[in-house]
Amino acid sequence: MGTPSFRIAMALVVGFALVSVSGCGKKTVQSGGDTQSQAAKGKSSDDASMSGVGSFPDTSMQSSGSPGLRGLDKNPSEERVAGAGGSTMLAKADPGSLGRQVEEMRAEQVASAAAGLRDVFFGYDSWTISEEGRQALGRDAEWLKTNPSAAVKVEGHCDERGTSAYNLVLGEKRAKAVRNYLVELGVSANRLSVVSYGKERPFCAEHAEACYQQNRRGHLVVRSGK
Amino acid sequence: MNRRTLIGIVLGAVCATAGAIGILESGAADVFLEATRPDFQKIPLGVVSIENIGGPEWLGGRLEEVLKKDVKRSLVFELMDLPSLGIKVRDVGNGLENGTKAMFRQAADNGVSVLVWGKAGLKRGEKEDDVNMEGFVYDSGNDEVVGGKRYAGSPSVVRLMAHRFADELVFRYTGEPGIARTKIAYVSAQGAARELFVMDYDGYDSRQLTADGFLNLMPRWSPDRRFLVFTAYRNRNTQDIDMIELATGKRWTLVSYGGLNITPALSPDGNFLAFASSHEGNSELYRLDTRTKAVQRLTTNPAGELSPTWSPTGRELAFVSDRGGGPQLFLMSADGSNVRRLTFEGDYNAAPAWSPRGNWIAYVCRTPRKEYKLCVISPDGQKRMQLTTGGGVDDSPSWSPDGRHLVFSSTADGKSHIYMIDADGKDLERLTFEGTHNSAPNWSPAS
Repeated sequence: MGTPSFRIAMALVVGFALVSVSGCGKKTVQSGGDTQSQAAKGKSSDDASMSGVGSFPDTSMQSSGSPGLRGLDKNPSEERVAGAGGSTMLAKADPGSLGRQVEEMRAEQVASAAAGLRDVFFGYDSWTISEEGRQALGRDAEWLKTNPSAAVKVEGHCDERGTSAYNLVLGEKRAKAVRNYLVELGVSANRLSVVSYGKERPFCAEHAEACYQQNRRGHLVVRSGK
Repeated sequence: MNRRTLIGIVLGAVCATAGAIGILESGAADVFLEATRPDFQKIPLGVVSIENIGGPEWLGGRLEEVLKKDVKRSLVFELMDLPSLGIKVRDVGNGLENGTKAMFRQAADNGVSVLVWGKAGLKRGEKEDDVNMEGFVYDSGNDEVVGGKRYAGSPSVVRLMAHRFADELVFRYTGEPGIARTKIAYVSAQGAARELFVMDYDGYDSRQLTADGFLNLMPRWSPDRRFLVFTAYRNRNTQDIDMIELATGKRWTLVSYGGLNITPALSPDGNFLAFASSHEGNSELYRLDTRTKAVQRLTTNPAGELSPTWSPTGRELAFVSDRGGGPQLFLMSADGSNVRRLTFEGDYNAAPAWSPRGNWIAYVCRTPRKEYKLCVISPDGQKRMQLTTGGGVDDSPSWSPDGRHLVFSSTADGKSHIYMIDADGKDLERLTFEGTHNSAPNWSPAS
């Protein structure tokens, strides 16, 4: 099921505006030049990341500032005990930022569903693309060729088995395997981005192979913005 | 054997343990799990009562319960059940009344080396009421009340008062700061998002630190407990390594290369951040000098490297590499030299955590039945033990600062929750009960 490409182009323009706004809004807590260089280049966060290392305060070992133990005393003087409330800041959600995020995700879902992109499923511990996966990606590549302005994000996902950390690496291997195969099929690499969610954004939560299978996936998303 | 000799032997055992630990830190090869040492003797301690004097009904009992659990978890003391020894629990006041002498003697004769009691009440304040707590300690070796503590604070810090008192007891008998005031950072699901939280070491008083609405993963404490470093997803499409200051909620981006930026870990002196990044192709390890902001690449390998964990001296790193196929543990010097493989048993070993004593590395091992469980291995590879058994995926082991416990996540009860276990695999205790998913616990340093 096709969608007129001008509609996607419109969605991309709107999406780009949203990403730009949220990109600036979210960095208010960050100190230093990263935000500036990002704004100066007028590019999205992917490119700003080339700057690499940000500025941040010294993390060298210092006195924690919390009163230490003073030992038992035969005539103890009163010690004031301060609660965690005094030493731990509670998070406050930014409703504007959260709202934009939800909107963007919805836009991506709508665009991806309209495009009819197929996902790729993987075996346990594996990032090899199966014959079935190749067929799915063949159709995805066709769509990308007929929609030359679209950019696609490949999300790498894993099932719940194994460690969180290693599954992030495994998820990236899966996402890159998908990207590389699409490039082999003639899709320009700069239209494809990859991100690994490891086992942190599962499609289902049951502890069973039927669910695990769903979660071992390369998920293709039409990017809103860029 | 008289009481004084007994105390001498107990303290001698504690000192010998501490001495042996000192040797280990200087690099000797011998390793042991101190809590399972045959000559390790806990100090028998009885909690008489925390008497409630005009406070709310729950006050004395709450303090007593928290204190007893802290004493038990310290693993320094053996919590004695006084009534079962025939010791009548009664008001001992300041320990100087006539009747109390007889009770002290009775306790000592039954092998109780330390007796603890106290009282608590409310003091009317101008704005709000204050809770007062007094605690006293009798030592049968000295045969006297060796001292006490007096605390005051708002009713919301009652548990913290008991924690402080428990840590004073540990400090008195070991010179260590104790773990009762430590905290655990972790990740908790808020809908589809994952946010950072901090709770007390016993699972109480959890607080939400981030509310980004997407993914924040794998928090690690700074050595001075002021900051957490973690992986944050920016705009859903890229990962950064961020830092948050607990006292202010202020945030910084430390590393924002393209690709994976995961598993940050600050060195014991806080001067270096080790992390994994895939911006030069596949996941490799890097070391960021937090003062000069210079980055040094530590590994060069077509396989994936991740999850660096510092030795307590800061001279070495353990990490995961899948250069042999599946993930395995490796060791290297902190500058990336002298790489050698540590684990050979099983085809999946990951998520290493170097113990604060230096003598063990805890990790997730996949068993022949394809279960993901906790294991420990000595840094020389000579000793290995599996700590947990059964179903469920165990993940993210992290040591208590005294090296006597581990905290980790497990799906053993269905949803992912956080558990504590002794370093010898005993006394499994579940810490979280709320929410749909709690994971990636990291135990704070002691203060």
